[in-house]
Amino acid sequence: MNQSSLATVDQPKIKTSQGKGSKWLSHRSLDEWSLGAVLMIGVLALFICVVLPIYTLLSKSIENKAGEFVGLANFSHFFATPSLYNAINNSLLIAFLSTFIVTTLSFLTAYGISRTRIPFKGLFRTILVLPILAPSLLPAISLVYLFGNQGIIKELLMGESIYGPIGIVIGSCFWTFPHALMIMLTALANTDARLYESAEVLGASPIRTFFTVTFPAAKYGIISVAFVVFTLVITDFGVPKVIGGQFNVLATDIYKQVIGQQNFEMGATVSVILLLPAILTFITDRWLQRRQSALLTSKAVPWVAPKRLWLDRTFFALMVLVSVVIVGIILMAVYASLVTFWPYNLSLSFNNYNFDLMDGGGWDSYWNSIQMATFTALIGTGFIFFQSYLVAKLKGFQLLKWCFHLFAILPLAVPGLVLGLAYIFFFNAPNNPLNGIYGTMTILVVCTISHFYTVCHLTATTALKQIDAEFESVSASLKVPQIKTFWRVTLPVCMPAVLDIASYLFVNAMTTVSAVVFLYSYHTSLASVAVLNMDDAGDIAPAAAMAVMIMLTCMVARLVHWLLGNVLLKHTQSWRQK
Amino acid sequence: MSNQAYLELQNIHQMFGSHQALKDVSLNIQEGEFVCFLGPSGCGKTSLLRIIAGLDTPSSGELFQAGQNITQTPIKHRDFGIVFQSYALFPNLSVADNIAYGLVSKQFSQRDKQARVSELLATVGLSGSETKYPAQLSGGQQQRVALARALATSPGLLLLDEPLSALDARVRAHLRQEIKQLQEKLGVTTIMVTHDQEEALTMADKIVVMNQGVIEQIGTPQEVYTHPNTPFVAEFVGEMNFIEAKNSGDGLMQSGTLMLQCEPSSESMFGENVKLAIRPEDIRFNGHEDDKNSLNAQVLHLEFLGSRVRSLLQIDDHETPLIADISMNEMSGLNLAQGQSVRCQLPADRLHIFGGHA
Repeated sequence: MNQSSLATVDQPKIKTSQGKGSKWLSHRSLDEWSLGAVLMIGVLALFICVVLPIYTLLSKSIENKAGEFVGLANFSHFFATPSLYNAINNSLLIAFLSTFIVTTLSFLTAYGISRTRIPFKGLFRTILVLPILAPSLLPAISLVYLFGNQGIIKELLMGESIYGPIGIVIGSCFWTFPHALMIMLTALANTDARLYESAEVLGASPIRTFFTVTFPAAKYGIISVAFVVFTLVITDFGVPKVIGGQFNVLATDIYKQVIGQQNFEMGATVSVILLLPAILTFITDRWLQRRQSALLTSKAVPWVAPKRLWLDRTFFALMVLVSVVIVGIILMAVYASLVTFWPYNLSLSFNNYNFDLMDGGGWDSYWNSIQMATFTALIGTGFIFFQSYLVAKLKGFQLLKWCFHLFAILPLAVPGLVLGLAYIFFFNAPNNPLNGIYGTMTILVVCTISHFYTVCHLTATTALKQIDAEFESVSASLKVPQIKTFWRVTLPVCMPAVLDIASYLFVNAMTTVSAVVFLYSYHTSLASVAVLNMDDAGDIAPAAAMAVMIMLTCMVARLVHWLLGNVLLKHTQSWRQK
Repeated sequence: MSNQAYLELQNIHQMFGSHQALKDVSLNIQEGEFVCFLGPSGCGKTSLLRIIAGLDTPSSGELFQAGQNITQTPIKHRDFGIVFQSYALFPNLSVADNIAYGLVSKQFSQRDKQARVSELLATVGLSGSETKYPAQLSGGQQQRVALARALATSPGLLLLDEPLSALDARVRAHLRQEIKQLQEKLGVTTIMVTHDQEEALTMADKIVVMNQGVIEQIGTPQEVYTHPNTPFVAEFVGEMNFIEAKNSGDGLMQSGTLMLQCEPSSESMFGENVKLAIRPEDIRFNGHEDDKNSLNAQVLHLEFLGSRVRSLLQIDDHETPLIADISMNEMSGLNLAQGQSVRCQLPADRLHIFGGHA
């Protein structure tokens, strides 16, 4: 007895002194190692699909056509060319104007929805986010019909031309508005009634209360909106392409340099310049998020808006006005797509939907888009959610996780146009073993997932952080493999977030133009690109028709999302009810 | 094997960056014992539990369970059940599925599983709740389900991480007893982490008092309460008055002009500067003037606490006031009032002596 107990104590001491090598291997079980390997694959995938292409792009901007290092020569050439240099001024003008308009409008409408007692809030909210379902080209096309040379209400412009800054600003405001509204709604959603009561008890006037309570709480949201809109506008090229006329901006410049003149080096140079505002936005946003979280306490009591007759009426009028503009622009595009031959034969027909008769890829491009969006949603959601899960819930592997998080955040700072160009440089290089995917559906899917990666990653991470951190420890103590707990518990609990990600990816894959416009081939033309090409060829009505098709498809996708979320999930998620 | 500990911790150190969470912790736990790790937040008790569970790996030191070195063993291959502070019940699984979660991988038949689940639910007093979801249960009920789930696989070691802290006082007192009874019935070796001294005193066979990463004292609840090893233990477990004093030898201690007689056991080992300590309930009021350590005091303040009265006493010729608790029975004889002078006694056998300036 005594001997055996001695032996058990002595043994391990010998073991540790000789077996240092196996020590760090053994404290992880086999399934932890295999999940770690999957995480490793994820890090590699992001490295190849995000980091390397951007690195290639950056290095191209300091090379000449022959691939020799030329330092900043491309940049000095850019700034020395007045027409190119003008593009910066133009881009800044457009971006500042749009940012001011959208930030103001989105704050007011978000205030109307969350802080007043106007009726039909749900309806207004649905209408106000409609533009997100349409490609950014749709408002531009609509504006041509409304205010163009043969526009129905062009007199409203009093002789000014819609082709140029006015059109670009209106179009940009239209498609960036929902993005701004959603951030504003979040910023204004968190109220603390106790602060308002204190202000009232202390005798503050409504205006003083607004500037001392409401505004400070929404401050970070407002700054965030301003930066997001600024970046979206300055990097978008759909709207300026369709309605910009001779008005040069940076984004159309890249397109012209690359597609028109095959001047890839100058395209890369302009891309790098375009990266700057995006990176600035990105850094500001990170900084803001760190500060915002400290503002909220769990004890906050939600505030209920009091009845304020005149204020409510004013806001109701504003909501109606904004809704009418949005619905008007959308309906104009729908109407234009149905008119047989604008403006001479106004009878309605589906002639413009005969895409096969036009240049741009025909109905095939529409089906390609459906296919691309479906793959993006399925593969993207699976990959993103599982990788976010590993980053959030796998024990150890700190360095891998840190790399992953960094790579996953990066796409937010890269405009689509820049990413698309980076993909050409990287994947089209003859010595790249992945060269084979260039010009296929695969590269479109990979590029789209990478382009929209960050928002999905953050959505998944937020959802995963909300569930108990000890689930994995509990299942390990019960000898259940971690992957089983993922399948039985984590995934079902996070299902709403998973659906959000899938729907976000699908809609964006349907509407995006910026990245894929450099990457589609004859066989993989996409609907959104077809809109651009048909418009370019002067087939504006069919372009409107395709844009409408994209919008309708996104509406269906959102409806399916809603049905899945509210009918199917309600049924399987009865555990959420008390 | 009878004198071999079931769980043995040898010289455990834990570093988090530059912060040392555990310093050279060694501890033996016998089979079937109920041990409480007691200490303020940040004392390292949870770090120690996480090391025992395998959730963290110690920076150095070794860990043996039933004679096996488990220092580097993955959680999966360890033999324990755990209940977390948050319970960590799976919200989308029913009570039955939660409890049976660990049974699946052990090749149980459906019927065996059901039988085991009903048995466990009966044990924790929740029979008939199989189909409910965690959100439909009260905090105390969720706690029991978590306990049942941890016990389902009949682990050799049960770990409880502040299991009662999320519950309200009444439920807590009730569950305290239930868990203790259950543990005695099953005989499972149990470690509970808590910052609540009352919980530790009522439930544990052995209390491990921790502070700033080191073990201050290990002992039964009685030992820890009546013979605290350090001023920290004395103050953290129960309440304590402290008096700075100088050791004059022969059990005589001098504090200012006050002379106090202590048990003349081994006062020489304490050195010159000592700290005397006495619990509020040990101060007596019904003594005679010529008793040892009998002092004159003025009642500064009285506080009614239900079953007893807490008084604040200003001892003559002494700076810091002392707290004394008087039971209501004794109070009815004394009839104390604020501002009144009173004769009180600090019994020599109740005075604790701590060395140095600690």
